[in-house]
Amino acid sequence: MLRPSKGKKWFKPVFDLDDNLPAKKIALDSPKVKSQDDVKNLQFASNTNIFNNVRDSNWMKNFDPVNIEDLAVNNKKVLELEEWMKNTCLKSNNNILLLSGPVGCGKTASIQTLASKYNIKITEWITPLDIEYPSEYGEYEFKEPQTKKFLEFIINSANYTSLVDNNSCKLVLVEDFPNIFMRTPAEFTEVLTQYKQRAKSPIVFICSESHTDTKNTSFNLFSSSLKEQFQIHHIMFNAVTLTGLKAALKRASAIMNSKFSSTYNNPTNEIIDSVVNSSGGDVRSAILNLHFACLKGSTCNLETSIIKEKESKSKTTTRRKKNVSNKFMTLGKDQTVSILHGVGRVLNPKETVTENGHKTLTHNPKDIIEQFLSHPSSFVNFLHENYLPHFSGTYDVDEAATALSDADCMLAEWREQICQEYGLYTAVSGLMLANKSPVPAWNPVRGPKNMKVIYPTLQELSLLDPNVLYKGKTLVTDYSTYHKIISS
Amino acid sequence: MSLWVDKHRPKDLMKLDYHKDQAVRLKSLVQQSDFPHLLVYGPSGAGKKTRIMCLLRELYGSGSERLRQETMHFTTPSNKKIEIMTVSSNYHIEVNPTDVGIHDRVVIMDLVKNVAQTHQIDSAGQREFKVVILNEVDDLTKDAQHALRRTMEKYVSTCRLILIANSISRVITAIRSRCLTIRVPAPTETEIASVLHAVCKKEGLSLPSELAMRIAKSADRNLRRALLMCEACKVQHYPFTSDQKVPEPDWQIFIRDTAAMILSEQSPKKLAEVRQKLYELIIHGVPPDVIFAGLLKELVCNCDMSMKCKIASYAAQYEHRMRLGNKSIFHIEAFVAKFMAIYKKFLEEALGDVF
Repeated sequence: MLRPSKGKKWFKPVFDLDDNLPAKKIALDSPKVKSQDDVKNLQFASNTNIFNNVRDSNWMKNFDPVNIEDLAVNNKKVLELEEWMKNTCLKSNNNILLLSGPVGCGKTASIQTLASKYNIKITEWITPLDIEYPSEYGEYEFKEPQTKKFLEFIINSANYTSLVDNNSCKLVLVEDFPNIFMRTPAEFTEVLTQYKQRAKSPIVFICSESHTDTKNTSFNLFSSSLKEQFQIHHIMFNAVTLTGLKAALKRASAIMNSKFSSTYNNPTNEIIDSVVNSSGGDVRSAILNLHFACLKGSTCNLETSIIKEKESKSKTTTRRKKNVSNKFMTLGKDQTVSILHGVGRVLNPKETVTENGHKTLTHNPKDIIEQFLSHPSSFVNFLHENYLPHFSGTYDVDEAATALSDADCMLAEWREQICQEYGLYTAVSGLMLANKSPVPAWNPVRGPKNMKVIYPTLQELSLLDPNVLYKGKTLVTDYSTYHKIISS
Repeated sequence: MSLWVDKHRPKDLMKLDYHKDQAVRLKSLVQQSDFPHLLVYGPSGAGKKTRIMCLLRELYGSGSERLRQETMHFTTPSNKKIEIMTVSSNYHIEVNPTDVGIHDRVVIMDLVKNVAQTHQIDSAGQREFKVVILNEVDDLTKDAQHALRRTMEKYVSTCRLILIANSISRVITAIRSRCLTIRVPAPTETEIASVLHAVCKKEGLSLPSELAMRIAKSADRNLRRALLMCEACKVQHYPFTSDQKVPEPDWQIFIRDTAAMILSEQSPKKLAEVRQKLYELIIHGVPPDVIFAGLLKELVCNCDMSMKCKIASYAAQYEHRMRLGNKSIFHIEAFVAKFMAIYKKFLEEALGDVF
């Protein structure tokens, strides 16, 4: 598209419109007028086979939300965001907003939809490659530091208006953080200070949250002191609710019906239900799954797998609801069980009697361990901390404790991956089988105890010779008691 | 004022109170020009460290007694900064590598390398090697032990290692074969009593021999503990009487209470209470094997012979597993649960016989 020449660096960001333009067109015009891409899609679809359409890089855009009502995000959050946008963008403050939430909960979509509603121009930073191509003479150009580039970009795009665009309001969007900030958060503070001084438009940072804290940008980069210093407004999105997802998928299926009926089968309610259940609050993956599930030509395959799964499940489970949630085995994310949930399943083993009189565990130990294979020892620690209140018989406890002791031996062998699995299996099935008469009462799940040993310090034991190296163990077993008596 | 244990520690190999034969051999070993790596092992409070310090004095003269404390810093491959306390003289350096937990390998490799690469300044008057003393070698990780094996061979010309351990069963064979292993057995009760008498004489106190024997008995053949007990006795009641109370270590009392809890009731609920007690012991640094031994000793008092056998064998089994595993609490708890099951069954059968 409109790529500027290489020499004028400061000019580049303003023109960097690549992907935003077609999206904007859909947004600005009424939904019935199709953008170029859509027209192309339709032509392909109606002409020949479906594969052209699948290959089109922009097919996801067909389902982008157009109005605020289309967003699957909680209304209150949308309102909060809208308030902020009204207050800042239209008044051209240079406020800072931090949007965080799990992946696929509609952070970017909300910003884009709202921006199009208020005619706000969004410029997004995309971290460029560090390696530059050699010039004609085979020399490498001087590389600017990433921080400097980033700062220049955000300030320029905040202050200068694009020539092809006559919007007055601007918004800078950063979703892709330059790696340098992860290593040295201090530089980020510097950039923000500069931005506050010089820029005239608001900036929005979007952070995807992950479960582990170590990779969580919003926690690492945006410390609470930083948020205070720059008065950063923080809006946290939650994962999309089931009803929200369902509404979004209904809308998508309506679009499918009206525009792409040649490509897609009309999704049945059942398919939508299973897509909703298997996506875990992630709109993006839900749409992807819906696309995959409804493609013409691949339907027969999927349907058999669904039916088969249903049959095998209905034998063992008593509740109908669970059936549906487990239905999609070939598609979507794995069904995730939180660690507390897993602990509950192990410590309150439920049995179901099959038709021919055999007793089986409702939750197969094998299914449970598959969920926790990545961190077996922490799961076993959780089990150990919590198993005692669920047991009523002394003999049962004996069996369970032995199983845990076995498991710990196996888990200690970290060089063999298979030992980890066996250890987890021993602990889980050992606990489940040993508990012949579980205590029905509800017990809160506690986290494992921190077992860090605290040895007495030399300051506490003042009579000891400071120039002798004492061992912690002997300090505890021999010195501490008598030191108290002698020094008194 | 320093403790008797430190104050009256013998400084010369010839002035040691027991294992005199071994002392003579050590002296002749030092007088030879060459001197291999040493692995000194024996139970706690037997006098391992005392012998090593005497040996160093024999090697380097009184310069080895001018000690200074220093904190050394290391960086692990994962860029974690760790620090460790060392005590050193001009001729030797001593360290507890287990203080840094799983990073012990880095400490061993870097420390030995540092020491080995700096040569003695006046090599004319002294030996051309330095000595590195490593404590608690049997608690090192396997990784660290293998690293130790390699460093031992590499720097043998400029540095000698003296390793201290309680038991060599957990030291890898490769290290055992590269060292001269010296066993320091625990002193007998009469030996302890005679040391106590000697110390009291130096302090100008008179110690009744009955009390000396009683202290020696309750000290569990640990000379360090015996001396501490004796000094504590002096603080509590002087002049000594032969029937005065000998204070016990507080963890021993704690373990006895825990054992009484186990015997009073056998149920999952009681086990949960026992677990809290065990946590407390472990967090305060009482070694898990000491907890095991203490519990077993208290628990078998109330059992008949066949049960004693059974319980002791289970204790051995779980203690072995504890060595293999990571979390000691799992195994101690499993042992307690096992005992509860056996004891409960025994009680139920005994009750059945009555009716």
